[in-house]
Amino acid sequence: MQTTTAHRGIGAVLRRDPAAPWRHLDVPLVGAALAVAGLGCLMVYSATRTSMADAGLDPFTYLKRQATFAVLGLVMAGVVMVVDYRNFRNVSAAIFFVSLVLLALVLTPLGTEVNFAQSWFSIGSFQLQPAELAKLALVLVLATSCSSDRGQLRRPRLTGAVLLTGLALGLILLQPDMGSGLVVVAIMVGVVVVAGARLRHLAALSAVAVVGVLAMLHFDLVDEYQRDRLTDFARSGEEASSSTGFQSEQAETAIGAGGLFGAGLYEGTQTKLGFVPEQQTDFIFTVVGEELGFIGSATLLSLYGVILWRIWRTAQLSKDLFGTLICAGVFAMMLFQIFENMGMSMGIMPITGIPLPLLSYGGSSMLTTWMALGLVLNVHMRRFS
Amino acid sequence: MTTDSPRLRLGIIAVVAVSLFCALFARMWFLQVLTAGEHELAAEANQRRVVPLVAPRGRILDRNGDILVANRASNVVTVERSMLRRLDEPERGELIERLAAAVDTPPFMISERLEDQRLGPFTPVPVAEDLPEEVLIELRERKGEFPGVTAQQSAVRAYPHGSLAAHLLGYVGAINTDELEAAGGVDEPSGYRLTSRLGKEGIERSFEEDLRGQDGEVVLEVDARGVPIRELSRREPVQGNDVVLSIDLATQRVAEQALAQGMSRSQGSRDPETGQPVLFGGSTVVLDVKEGTVAAMASWPTFNPADFVYQITQAQFAALTDPAQGTPFVNRAVQGQYAPGSTWKLITALSGLETGLITPESTIVDPGRYVIPDCARNCTRTNAGSAAYGEVALRKALTVSSDVYFYGLGARAWQDRARLGDTPIQDMAAKLGFGSPTGVNLPTEAAGRLASPALRAEAYAQNPDLFLTGDWFIGDNVNIAIGQGDIAVTPIQLANAYATFATDGTRYEPNLALRVQDAEGNVVRDIEPRIVERVTLPPGAQGPILDGLIGATASEDPRGTAYTAFRGFPHDQYPVAGKTGTAQNGGNRKDDALFAAFAPANDPRYALSVVMERAGFGSTWAAPVAESILSSLSGLETPEVVQPAAGGNRG
Repeated sequence: MQTTTAHRGIGAVLRRDPAAPWRHLDVPLVGAALAVAGLGCLMVYSATRTSMADAGLDPFTYLKRQATFAVLGLVMAGVVMVVDYRNFRNVSAAIFFVSLVLLALVLTPLGTEVNFAQSWFSIGSFQLQPAELAKLALVLVLATSCSSDRGQLRRPRLTGAVLLTGLALGLILLQPDMGSGLVVVAIMVGVVVVAGARLRHLAALSAVAVVGVLAMLHFDLVDEYQRDRLTDFARSGEEASSSTGFQSEQAETAIGAGGLFGAGLYEGTQTKLGFVPEQQTDFIFTVVGEELGFIGSATLLSLYGVILWRIWRTAQLSKDLFGTLICAGVFAMMLFQIFENMGMSMGIMPITGIPLPLLSYGGSSMLTTWMALGLVLNVHMRRFS
Repeated sequence: MTTDSPRLRLGIIAVVAVSLFCALFARMWFLQVLTAGEHELAAEANQRRVVPLVAPRGRILDRNGDILVANRASNVVTVERSMLRRLDEPERGELIERLAAAVDTPPFMISERLEDQRLGPFTPVPVAEDLPEEVLIELRERKGEFPGVTAQQSAVRAYPHGSLAAHLLGYVGAINTDELEAAGGVDEPSGYRLTSRLGKEGIERSFEEDLRGQDGEVVLEVDARGVPIRELSRREPVQGNDVVLSIDLATQRVAEQALAQGMSRSQGSRDPETGQPVLFGGSTVVLDVKEGTVAAMASWPTFNPADFVYQITQAQFAALTDPAQGTPFVNRAVQGQYAPGSTWKLITALSGLETGLITPESTIVDPGRYVIPDCARNCTRTNAGSAAYGEVALRKALTVSSDVYFYGLGARAWQDRARLGDTPIQDMAAKLGFGSPTGVNLPTEAAGRLASPALRAEAYAQNPDLFLTGDWFIGDNVNIAIGQGDIAVTPIQLANAYATFATDGTRYEPNLALRVQDAEGNVVRDIEPRIVERVTLPPGAQGPILDGLIGATASEDPRGTAYTAFRGFPHDQYPVAGKTGTAQNGGNRKDDALFAAFAPANDPRYALSVVMERAGFGSTWAAPVAESILSSLSGLETPEVVQPAAGGNRG
């Protein structure tokens, strides 16, 4: 049993009872996350090896980078776990402020435009996506703010949460990055629901959101390609004549062609021959579907299931509401990203640029996800302290 | 610390999460288990591109091996429209601009050709042809920039002699839906694809199976932009066989030139109905009566088959089918149908001898006019120019072309119908091949028309408003006897009927080809003569009719109708048995000029017919054309063609 003489601060914890929290490491969560990340490295390699080799480049380039990200992510998770999560309450506002500054800076010439969106800082050969870090910062700041109401979220706090989210959302939509914007909204919903927001407040919020989205569509405030993505998704494959419709059709074909057992590792033709775009990033699931089949896809879905279950369980077990809300935010973030990404690959959700956590190629997403999991693990292992 | 509320809320979130996961799982099950098969097919079709290796088409040679149609290489750029549709508008426009710059053509011309609705949706559209080799290389090197664009060398038809024999050679064009269906669809065993080209007319069509060869194919793995990654399999094409025709270049050229000269001279009149200048056509057919083959076949005006090598423009095709320009596209030799006029008297004479209505020696007195017996109105007919020929028997009747002689024969055939049946003349005509296609190896041959009381009654019963009467009168028989009335023949039928008479009744389906051989010249198959019928001609008919027909070209007194045209012809060494014809067109339209003949009369080798629409007298216009062809065929020194002069004999 742990001592309850809690003196917050790294030194204190390590000095007094260094082994105790680590004994409660959530091994299933770490295991499932490592499995997904490992599978991700393999899938990224499969998706890129031929095109890299054809271009005369090292076919292992992407594999090496992704593996580096994964290891880096694991280290970052460890770093996040060292400090008692309760300490983050004090710094969450500052972290959030920094992330807002970064979101603003990326819009300036300091940022780089990729695929028509100004979403990146280029640092050497690596790129940093501030929107990814903002997700994490939002989880912390919302958890901090909403945990003050002790499970009965009142209107001022809810309004505060909406305003904080709105700040981040606004800056993200200016890039424009609709995918990350949606994730930010999902995080807020997750946190405020668990924090005890009232039903009528939630209903009013939903109404405002619906009206807002319709107005944006109606007044042409979204780019044409984004509207195409939304409307093509609603149309059948034959009518979808634009390239967006073609993408989503090809993604479905790739996954379906995998069948029960898949075409075999490296054997997917839809993904290898370029019929599916962005296959190492947003459409990575098509590689899993085509090459590993239903068995592989269902296994991946199960691993995600384990991860979400462990996060949910931690939310339940958390010693305080702050921990619960951190878990709720991370849970909502992961759930939304998984559902939206796999859903769009399979044609039941519109296409938006959202990475599949731990699987899609990309450092920012990988680090963010690991750090988010680090927070959850932190809450989990300190549930008695 | 914790209240119930967060726990309850966590429960809600769990329910949401489980539902969403169920949705993902269900969709996965649907795609990868329930409908996996169709996705597998789609993926397979995506990445496999079958590129046909079109077999070089066989050549068409004349009987001496001279090349009439060969192949030449042309660098062609085609665009797959299905690929274009995958691109968004700005991208599509940019591609067309890029392509236009690469092949040095204005972009609008490429867009225009891409919109040509005459081609099927999957047929690659040719947008530029005969490009320099560098362009081809450049397009291939930059293939990534040109999705759906194919630049390749392809074999197209080459015509070393220009428009020579255009009508009988025909042309090659892109297969259409009907043709594809007729061939049994896109799958084996027809071997045709949506992109195939095939013979559309003439020899190209009737010998399609020999000429086309067997296409090969390369199966390629392609990426999403249609760029080949690697070759999966390959089957080499087999070149088509050559067809050796029965015509020879020299004779064909002579026939075409003689016809063209005659036709050009006969033009110049305006159509009396419209007042507009109208081009009228003509044709000539020369048959080898010993071989049962076509020695030459010409139709005027003609066209250049090279216009069909790529997709012919709509304007070009409209000109080829414009009646005011003489519908050059029509092969009049087998598709033109004309009243035979006096060339028909051969048939009436044979019928008269067979039925016993006349003997070679029985005579009449021809006063120049004939009154139809048992007749109510319009009962008087005259010879051309009302010429009176006095005492006339069969020989003289043919030589001078006495209408009165044959009017009487026609009338008596009707009067004696209780014994002879309704149609003794038409029956004889049918035996000589009229009223049905001759069976020459060309795809679109007309049947001609033989009127009869029964057919007329039937037509009237079906459409009483269209005809004045359904009855047949004695006057109809009188008209038919001299090749007028409801009789229509094609030039090849006319030549073939004279050939049948010349060979004592051996009627052939004329062959246009002698054999099919492979590229090295080894015979693949010989095309055997096809005898349809051995017609029994009335005994004793041959001599007197031959005399009469020889007289028509050679007799000075009584003067033969074609005597002037054949003046100075070496009749002793190369006697010609011929018959002029001048067929009335009704109203104040000019007459069609005809001539039919065979030669040498003592040992016939060739039979020929000449038909010239709206030219005038057969003796003036058609006989000189025939004379000039026969001079050349005889191989003898002959005088210059007598220029047609005013006047002449209508018969």
